Amino acid sequence: MSDGLSRRSFLKLAATAGAAAAIPGCEPAARKIIPYVVPDENIIPGVPSYFATTCGECSAGCGIIAKVREGRVIKLEGNPADPISQGAICARGQAALQGVYNPDRLSKPKRRKADGSLEEIGWDEALKLFNDRLAAAAKAGKDRIAYIGAPQGPTLDRLTKLWAGAFGSSRVVFWERIGTEPARAAADACFGRRDLPIYQLDRADVIVSFGADFLETWGSPVEQTRQYADFRTPRMRRGGLSIGKAAYVSPRMGITGAKCDAWVPANPGTEGAVALAVLNVMAGAGSLRHAGTAASAIQAQLAAYDPESVSRKSGVPVSQIKQMADWLGQAESPLALPGGDDPQTYLAAYAINALTGSVGNAMVFLAGAPAETASRPQETSAVVQAIGAGQVDVVVIAAGANPIFTMPASWGAATAIGRAPFVVWFGDAPDDSAQAAQLLIPTHHHLESWRDSAPRAGIYGLGQPVMQPVFPSRVLHDILLESAHLGAGEAAQSITWENAQDAVNAAWQELQSKLGLDPMGAEFWNQMRRNGGSFERAKALNVAFNPDALKGATPARVESESALLLAAFPHPFLYDGRGANKPWLQEIPEPSNQIVWDSWAEIHPETAAQLGLQEHYKSTYLYAGIDVIEIATPSGTLELAVHITPLVKPGVIAAPIGQGHTSYGRYASGRGANLWAFLPAGSRAVPVRARKIERQYKLVTPLGKSDMMGRSIVEVMSVEQLANGIKPPIELEEEENTPKLPYEMYDAWQYTGHKWGMTIDVNACTGCSACVAACYAENNLPFGGKEEVDKGRVMSWIRIERFIPSADEAAAAPNLYIAPVLCQQCDHAPCEPVCPVFASHHTPEGLNAQIYNRCVGTRFCENNCPYKVRRFNWYPAEWPEPLNLQLNPDVTVRGPGVMEKCTFCIQRITNAEIDARTEGRQLVDGEIITACAQACPARAISFGDLNDANSAMVKRRIDNPGRTYTMLPEFNALPAITYLRSLYWEKGKA
Amino acid sequence: MNRILIPVALLLFLSGAATVGFSERPWAPRSDVEQPIPFSHRVHAGINKIPCQYCHEYARRSATSGVPPVARCVGCHGSGLLGGIKPITQPWTDDHQPPFEIRWNRVYALPDFVKFVHKPHIWAGVACQECHGPVETMDRVVPVHEINMGFCINCHTKRGATQDCFVCHH
Repeated sequence: MSDGLSRRSFLKLAATAGAAAAIPGCEPAARKIIPYVVPDENIIPGVPSYFATTCGECSAGCGIIAKVREGRVIKLEGNPADPISQGAICARGQAALQGVYNPDRLSKPKRRKADGSLEEIGWDEALKLFNDRLAAAAKAGKDRIAYIGAPQGPTLDRLTKLWAGAFGSSRVVFWERIGTEPARAAADACFGRRDLPIYQLDRADVIVSFGADFLETWGSPVEQTRQYADFRTPRMRRGGLSIGKAAYVSPRMGITGAKCDAWVPANPGTEGAVALAVLNVMAGAGSLRHAGTAASAIQAQLAAYDPESVSRKSGVPVSQIKQMADWLGQAESPLALPGGDDPQTYLAAYAINALTGSVGNAMVFLAGAPAETASRPQETSAVVQAIGAGQVDVVVIAAGANPIFTMPASWGAATAIGRAPFVVWFGDAPDDSAQAAQLLIPTHHHLESWRDSAPRAGIYGLGQPVMQPVFPSRVLHDILLESAHLGAGEAAQSITWENAQDAVNAAWQELQSKLGLDPMGAEFWNQMRRNGGSFERAKALNVAFNPDALKGATPARVESESALLLAAFPHPFLYDGRGANKPWLQEIPEPSNQIVWDSWAEIHPETAAQLGLQEHYKSTYLYAGIDVIEIATPSGTLELAVHITPLVKPGVIAAPIGQGHTSYGRYASGRGANLWAFLPAGSRAVPVRARKIERQYKLVTPLGKSDMMGRSIVEVMSVEQLANGIKPPIELEEEENTPKLPYEMYDAWQYTGHKWGMTIDVNACTGCSACVAACYAENNLPFGGKEEVDKGRVMSWIRIERFIPSADEAAAAPNLYIAPVLCQQCDHAPCEPVCPVFASHHTPEGLNAQIYNRCVGTRFCENNCPYKVRRFNWYPAEWPEPLNLQLNPDVTVRGPGVMEKCTFCIQRITNAEIDARTEGRQLVDGEIITACAQACPARAISFGDLNDANSAMVKRRIDNPGRTYTMLPEFNALPAITYLRSLYWEKGKA
Repeated sequence: MNRILIPVALLLFLSGAATVGFSERPWAPRSDVEQPIPFSHRVHAGINKIPCQYCHEYARRSATSGVPPVARCVGCHGSGLLGGIKPITQPWTDDHQPPFEIRWNRVYALPDFVKFVHKPHIWAGVACQECHGPVETMDRVVPVHEINMGFCINCHTKRGATQDCFVCHH
């Protein structure tokens, strides 16, 4: 180039231009600080407010308390005043936060265009469309409008019925797939009332569960877990130290089976037959003490359920049937728990309980039971049929019912609803059923709503909004009420409430009168909102058992030509599918099989071998699953990746329900298989054929080996040993070379103030993972998704370790070794000396601190930790809006390249210490509670000050001297966490 | 040789300068910050001797001292107390104007990994001026001290307060 720019000039120019461009960018814009205009008196920025409400994640209706910072709910806890939760909360309840802040929530009404796509429309247009259609349907005749929604509590459900009635329709169904119909039908036959019995597991001394996964999804898991922990606490009974004895009849173990003495593998759908056989044996042995003269009649009725023929059908050995009958017969307070969809199981269990005198004790009926919430299955399927027959003009799907996903395939809900002239979907996060709708309208999440719940007699739970709506959604029942007033004219005159809040208010004024609390005046409503409702002990009813109920008992049979049975089970976190759009519930591993983000097929090694399946290794890494089978059911075929495990009965394929959404947000869609579509109406068991196919699909687990390899991670002892004061020795590795422990190379730490520690009762822990979810919520833990978990990057600070006892260990071990593992806050922390920058160091209060801004990411600390509790941030964490609103402002959000781990909730410790200091007092034991300890339904975790001899945490160790141990003592790490051994009965194997 | 060396050296120097320039800590106290309304601490806290915590009322209750809500200003400026409405606050006392918040620009902004709590410092008797300087003499608030960790630790050492890293960094 002769003319134009020379190379030298170009470079000079570029450099100067570059420098010039950089200069204005030097000072970033100042951050803002924005005060209120008119502040709320009760809000102090930086200090949380607490609101009591009722959880809406399942029908248990636990009372919860929402912690709200600057108008955003950031944490949920159990309500200590609520008799059901008593301060605890389960993983699903915790994840309700990810429901209210879900990025896939609907924000504007949408209408379906002719080409099938959705377009956003304004509220006026949407409501006009809705109201016009309702009016037209009402004009065309009676019952031309159908409503399918999840139960929303007595007041709102009443409102819904009135709304439908104003339009001349009685086709209102409150739909819950995991329902109570079999229990109620059996209660009606046995006791003459369609009430649900209340179980008090802590009053029993022997429990046999026939298919009821009472620690996972059945009934009221939070309450049952607490009661079961009590049941398994060693105490003096009948002159000797003992714990309750339990057996679980089920095709798969799950954590319920893990925590029972005996897991009795049975073919799915035969739990009822087994229960009747047990009852038969008990009748013959004369253990039905309260049967009186009816005993022989009962035995005659149950003649078809002799142990031998039931054993053939169910696969349960005769000896085990007899053993369970023996356990129940010898017990002072036996309790049979019925689960599943077969009413006969409930009949048998109620009979066992009634005829052994446990009704009125471990199982009670309460006076004043609330009306049934959910519609009966016959009513619901009739409505679906009417829709399919073209008798309905407008179908309203609301409140997360998701009928297209959950209804039995035989009802044809998807086809019927798909053919309806006009379908309106109301809800917060569009699901599979929204795909069939012509109009989608966003409504509030339960945390944003006024509602109430009546889970049982004596408990009136209030639900109040804990924050302003996150999205511009509206109240469902306000829309319904307005449409009734607009379109139904005179018929709507009887509806006097203006809106849902008004209705709830009015209902509670009625309650105030009913409870005789009129003199309290307006203070009643204040108190109700503060407490979360009214909680009373209702009186137990005297009920009589009708032995005729057992006449002609015919339990549902699953007969199969092939030897294979499919047993579908609700995933403990995804439940009936509603949990799938919450990433915490996907990322926290299912406790017994430890698989994340997928559906899978659990197959026993024997059955796997028959199908040509085997375990696959990549070097020493064992795949959780990689072979795929095609399962042919009467309703169609599905493909599932196989997880080979001894925790399922041979001949049974156990698969979790909850995945397989076609459309339910980014975390749920296109993942796994929807088992509901393959299950018949009254059962979760199907005879199937299966074959291996060439496809491979990788299942991911964060778990390492299932074998403890003799290491002291989960320690156990038998009740007999505990009673005799025998402490089983703990084998240390390399005993000869190890100096006598504990070993001090330097002066020991001197803790003049507090020294924080924990006592964890492994016996109480069921592996429910409520602690894991609570930690995610409290400490801003990122979730990575399946790919990141596959790389070993699951970020949980506390995890549930699960090991399977080997054949040698099985006789002297519980069914599974389960324990929570978190940072042990060691006195001789191996992670401290190796940090080149002192990011990991010991604090004067005994904690191992990890200082994020000092960490340079050498990862030596993670390397050195024997407990593997340290987590490295390999990727920048993302919280798609508005999930970021859930983040706790008291905890740093870690950037990439930084190590993190459990801090014993230092933010809670610090805040409490500041409060105590400014109030001029000492800390009180129990004032500081870590998130994990607070959530635990089993109360397995105690947190406290080791220097306070009166603290509950220290007392727990002192009261259980025969059971204390620390993990991996050969490392001489001196953990601050002492565990209490899990207990089993030596002769517990039925 | 020079034809290559000099531009490369220049490039390296400039990128180094840019790095230093961009590494200006965004959380360091800012002396260049201007506010949307020219509120003068000298008038309010200096001449009229209004105590700091009359407006910054959350300091003794919370981690943040808070900036007063608009209602606090209207409390004095909206009434006849001060001879009626001063023009400068009219927007916030005008009934015909919907209320809106004032978006102040932060002078002091600590990074997310520092969990500083005002409450224990107020209760320990630390005067606001010790960290924020003589604000009652300032028409426009500017920082006097650079609030870095050394500044905090100096005072903690002098007063015998906690030196536990975990208390502030979690």
